[in-house]
Order: sequence, then structure tokens, then C-alpha cells
Amino acid sequence: MKMPLRLAILGCGAITRGEHVPAVSDHPDVQLIALVDSDLSRAQSLIDRRGLSCQAVADYRELLGRVDAVINALPNHLHDAVNRDSLLAGVHVLCEKPLAISAAEARACTELAAQRKLILAVGMNRRFFESRSLLALAMREGLLGTVREYDFQYGGAFDWRSASGFYFDRAKAGGGALVDFGVHMIDSVIDWFGPITAFDYQDDDWGSGIEANAILDVRHEGQLGEIKGRLRISRTFALKNRLLVHGTQADAEVAVHNPDVVVLHRTVGGKPLSETLRHENAESGSSYRRQLDNFIHSIVNGTNPEVDGWQAVRVMELIENCYAHKRRIPEPWAENAVERCEARV
Amino acid sequence: MNWRQESVLVTGATGFIGGRVCERLWQAGVPQVRALVRSTHKAARIARLPIELVAGDLMQPETLRQAIGNAKIVIHCGLGNAGAIVRGTENMLAAAREAGVKRFVHVSTAAVYGITPPPGSETEDTPIRKTGDAYCDNKAAAERVVLRYGHRGLPVSILRPSIVWGPYSAWSTRLMDDLRTRRVAYIDDGRGACNTTHVDNLIDAMFLTMENGRALNQVFFITDGETITWGDFIRAHARMINPELIIGGVSREEIDRALPKTVGMLAGSIKATARVARSKEFRHILMQIPATEAVMKRAWGWVTSLPPEKRDRLRARFGVQRPPAAHKNGKYIPDPVTVATQSTTVFFSIAKARRELGYEPRIKFREGMQMVEQWLRYSAYLD
Repeated sequence: MKMPLRLAILGCGAITRGEHVPAVSDHPDVQLIALVDSDLSRAQSLIDRRGLSCQAVADYRELLGRVDAVINALPNHLHDAVNRDSLLAGVHVLCEKPLAISAAEARACTELAAQRKLILAVGMNRRFFESRSLLALAMREGLLGTVREYDFQYGGAFDWRSASGFYFDRAKAGGGALVDFGVHMIDSVIDWFGPITAFDYQDDDWGSGIEANAILDVRHEGQLGEIKGRLRISRTFALKNRLLVHGTQADAEVAVHNPDVVVLHRTVGGKPLSETLRHENAESGSSYRRQLDNFIHSIVNGTNPEVDGWQAVRVMELIENCYAHKRRIPEPWAENAVERCEARV
Repeated sequence: MNWRQESVLVTGATGFIGGRVCERLWQAGVPQVRALVRSTHKAARIARLPIELVAGDLMQPETLRQAIGNAKIVIHCGLGNAGAIVRGTENMLAAAREAGVKRFVHVSTAAVYGITPPPGSETEDTPIRKTGDAYCDNKAAAERVVLRYGHRGLPVSILRPSIVWGPYSAWSTRLMDDLRTRRVAYIDDGRGACNTTHVDNLIDAMFLTMENGRALNQVFFITDGETITWGDFIRAHARMINPELIIGGVSREEIDRALPKTVGMLAGSIKATARVARSKEFRHILMQIPATEAVMKRAWGWVTSLPPEKRDRLRARFGVQRPPAAHKNGKYIPDPVTVATQSTTVFFSIAKARRELGYEPRIKFREGMQMVEQWLRYSAYLD
């Protein structure tokens, strides 16, 4: 592979504006060829605002002979078709999560990348926070004692100003809170605690398939033994926004908004103490920059990316299973008030 | 009219009242619920429902014609900023008339009589006077526009709820936040009239106006019909926290004496805001949210840094904001808007709604508060 890598970013929505363009724009190993958006003016205005020297293109297919790799940050329902087109044209792909809106699509796409010997990386940027290795290290080295359970919460009033508004369209988003941030949470807990062997899932979808709240209870059976966990996600109200892992000797806390450190809580001499673990030589740059570095490294060296398609397939299969076996979260305050004669209680 | 068989458009559907209206309409079996959505990102609550989210903006009339579709009933809970209250309502009325809707239910507010309604404003026939507050005066002006359309043949009804509460209400969530940070006091022993209006009682009244010919061109106060004071309301929330919080009292005299100090407090709060804005944590949070939100925060910082007279002019233009509260001699002095809100002695009469609509509040304070507590626990406001 000749450097710099010729790259295009597909989709000029919120994540591209806020994360991918800053990660790419001054990267020494990347030549940004184009920003692509079906709304050409959106691509052009982003180029102008950031002072980028690349093209604005409306149709990604125009570019496929001219780039080595793409970052696919289009709405969820467009991921699969565009990924396939790109792979068939010999282009490496870093695709925003979720890789596809069904496990079958994700699997087929992953197989295609393998056949073509191309890199298909999935944008799970949370894997590139320092807490990922810190927590793994703390558990492996026994700082928590035996780990038995955890509680992982993420929630806040939904305020993601997606340019296309696809988030609330079932066919385009593939689901609600679980598909959105839940993908990150599930990916992370499998990475930390091992494969999920049992689950129980509830959400508050009344019939449109766009749940705002989800509660997923899981059991892991991996190298650390059996661990139970609860994942809670909300788009309507703030939750504790942290992972709390309970061990026999200490608890470990990872805050969603401060993900480069792990805080250990323990009782010493009857007093509650806490200590913060951080890497002495923490990597610099945003998680998106580190993710991009990993993608480029995989292309150059022909190695597996940190998050490959198969890992995304595993997460999508669990999500599909959750939706297939879901129970409704009880909302007595919404049901008690309804008249007897009202039909759909 | 059997509204259960009609298609209904709800404006303000991403808000607290509109969101619950969408839920109740769907629960009632209405064949098509259309929810007007301007800010897609706020639609998380109603996107759970098998209803239609239709894009539109009360300030863009052409979008309303499309949004109304085949709806025969409009429930107008939409608000927007103070400037949009009157124009937005008129745009919706015009679209409704053009579409030939059979009922237009306008959700107004008892605050048309001011943030502190004066004694004598207990019944709907009390004349409305200018209050000087942009929100109150604009809501009053919007009522006049609604009635004008009503006199020209559009079947309109106006409901004036007061303190609309229930699950998802900011009255409860903000109060819980304030209780936790000890920013609550009983003003004059909490004797002020609270005029609670449980959201489900309000929606019962909406449904009654939709099926009752006597509701046409009429205005109705809607409350829970109980004499709940602000002390009752605050105490009910404080009891949910374990151990129950002890809340201090503050008299009007103490508040008046403390008022000059609030200017100093404002300077202090600006300094504190600047400190927060410079902090690493704040910058980190800003990085997590889209640029528009950052701009809004910057704008808020700018507003709070203005001299008082300029700030007041902006307040008059854009409606009620919460000015800062203060502490004096260890006593919590609530902010002036809270003081004004909790100082009325007026309990609005729902006799007209009872007589003309057959309205009877189903959700009593105690039962309603139990549901609020359940919801607050579920939504992590309470441990």
C-alpha cells in the first residue's frame, strides 16, 4: 500500500463533522480525497468551514476507482449496500456502528471482505479509550478480587442532531436505544467479561420498534468465570452513566464521559477509599484518531483491525435475539390512568 | 362527534403534555395519530408509539398544510418561543380551517392572568389584562386569535390548565433536583395556591371537549379541583427522599429584604459560570454534544453577562427565564419567578367545565403523586 492512504468520508452528518473530519484532517498518513453527501451543499459547506482541500461529491460510486479506503458514516440502513459496493471495488472500509441493521447483512459483508482480502473495520470508538485496557488489566491482575457482577448505565435526554433524522425511522435505524448506544455497551462488555451465554431483555417500545429505554440482563461465561451484568440505556432521562464492576476485594468504576481512567473503590481499615488508575504513557488524540490509526495499521500490515466484522456480527445477533424475545417494561403510570373503555391498554 | 374514529394531529408532540396526549390517543384506539415534530432529536418518547411523526414547523405554514393530512381534529399543545406563540397558533388555525377540521382544541394556560393571578380571577369570564410578561401576554393574545377563528366558523375550544404535573413533568424533575441541592423553601409557609392539573385529567377534559357541542367557542379552566398548596406539592416530593428532607421557610418580608442582594449573587454566579466554562470537565462535556448545543450554552452565558436592563428587555421578548436565587443569613431565597409562581391565593374554579363538559377530575392528588413517585424511581430521579 502506497502512503498516504487515499480516503473518502461518506456522509456529512453529525459524527463526520464532530469526529471523523478532525481525526482525518491533519493525519500524516491520509490524503482526504473527498467528502460525500447526497446533499452536495452539506459536503461543500463542511469543506469550506474546515478549510479542507478535497472534493465534494454527491455519489460515492464516482470515487471507487480513486480511493484506497472509505469511512462509511451514512445512516444505518445505507451501511450494508455501500460497504459491499466499496469492497467489490477493492476499497477498504471503516464503517460506523452498527455494521448493518441485521446480523445476516453484517455476516455477508464480513465474508465478502474476507474473500476480497480487504480490511473491514467497525467504528466502535469506545474500544480505543484507555479504560478498556486498564479495566482488563485490573481484573486480570486480581485488583478487584473475584469479579461476580456489574451494572452499566448510559442515559440522557436524546439530543443527537442527526442531519437526516433517521434515528426515529425503524427501517432506517434498525431499532432504538439498544441498536444505538447499546451496540457500544454490548461490544465492550463482551470484550471485558467474555461471551454472553444467557440474557433477559425488556424495553419500552409500544409498537414502532424505536425503544427509548432498554434493560438487558446478561450472563457471561469467559476466562474470568461466570459474571452477571445489567445494561440500562435511556434516551429520555439521565442515568448514572458509568460501568460499576463489583469484585470481592474492590469495585471498579468507568465513567462514560471520562473513559480514559478507571477508579477503584475499596474499604481499607473500615474506611472507604478510592484510587484512580491511569496509564503513565497514555496515547494522545481522540478515540476516533486512535481508531483511524488502527484501521491504517491493519491495511498497511494486513492484520486484523481492533474491531472486525465478526465481532459486529456477534453483537448484532444478540440484539436480534433481544428484539425477538423482548418483554415490555411495565409503565403503570401510563396505564393506570386510562379509562376502562379505552381500547389499547 | 366520535373522536375515537377520527385522525388527530397533535402539535407540541415532543413536549410533556403533547407526548402524553399522543399516548392517550393511541391507547384510546384512535386510528391515526399524527404528531407534529419540529425538533426530530426530541422525539425519543413518542417515537416508541406506533403513530405517525410528521415533520413541520408552526412558523412555516406550508409545512402545516402537509402535516395536517386527513386529520379532522387538531390538539394544539405547541408552544415554541414567546414570539411563536401567537403567530404559530394562527398558522395552525389557518391550516385547520383550510383542511376543514371538525375540532380545534387549544391548550392555553391559566397564566393568561399572570404568573401571580390576582384575586378575582377565579372564573373564566374575568377580563384579561396585560401582565407585562411576554409568555402570559402572548398566550392571552393567542386565545383571542383562537376565538376569532371560532367566531368565523372553526369549531374551537380553549382549555386553561394551571400547574400541569404528572410523570415526565418538569415541575417534579426540577423540584427533585432543587430538593437535592437544598434550593427549596416554603414561601410564606407554603400557603400559595398550586392549582395542580394532572396531565391525565387535562387530557380527559380535551377528550370531553371533542365530543361535546357545548364546548364550542368556550374557554374552560381545568385543574384537579383540589385545594392543593405549594407546601403540599413540595412536601409530597420531599417525602419521596429517604430520609425525608427538612425544608426551611422564608417569608415575603425576608424575600423582599434579600432582593437587592440578588444583583451581587448574579455577579457571583457569572463568575462561577466562567469558572465552570474554563474547567476541563465542562470542555469535555462540550466535546460530547453537537455544536448547536455549544452555541446555545454560549448564548446563555452571554445573556447572563448583560446588564440587568438589557436582560429584562430580552426576557420580555423571549418569555420567562429563571433568574438566580440567593442565600441570606443561611436562608434560601428562591428566585423571583418561583416566588411569583408560588404566591397566588387564587384557586381556579372548574365549575364551568363540570357543568358544561361533565368534567370530573379522575386522578386525585394522592394517587397522582404515587404514580409520579413510581415514575421518578424508574427514571432514576430517585434511588
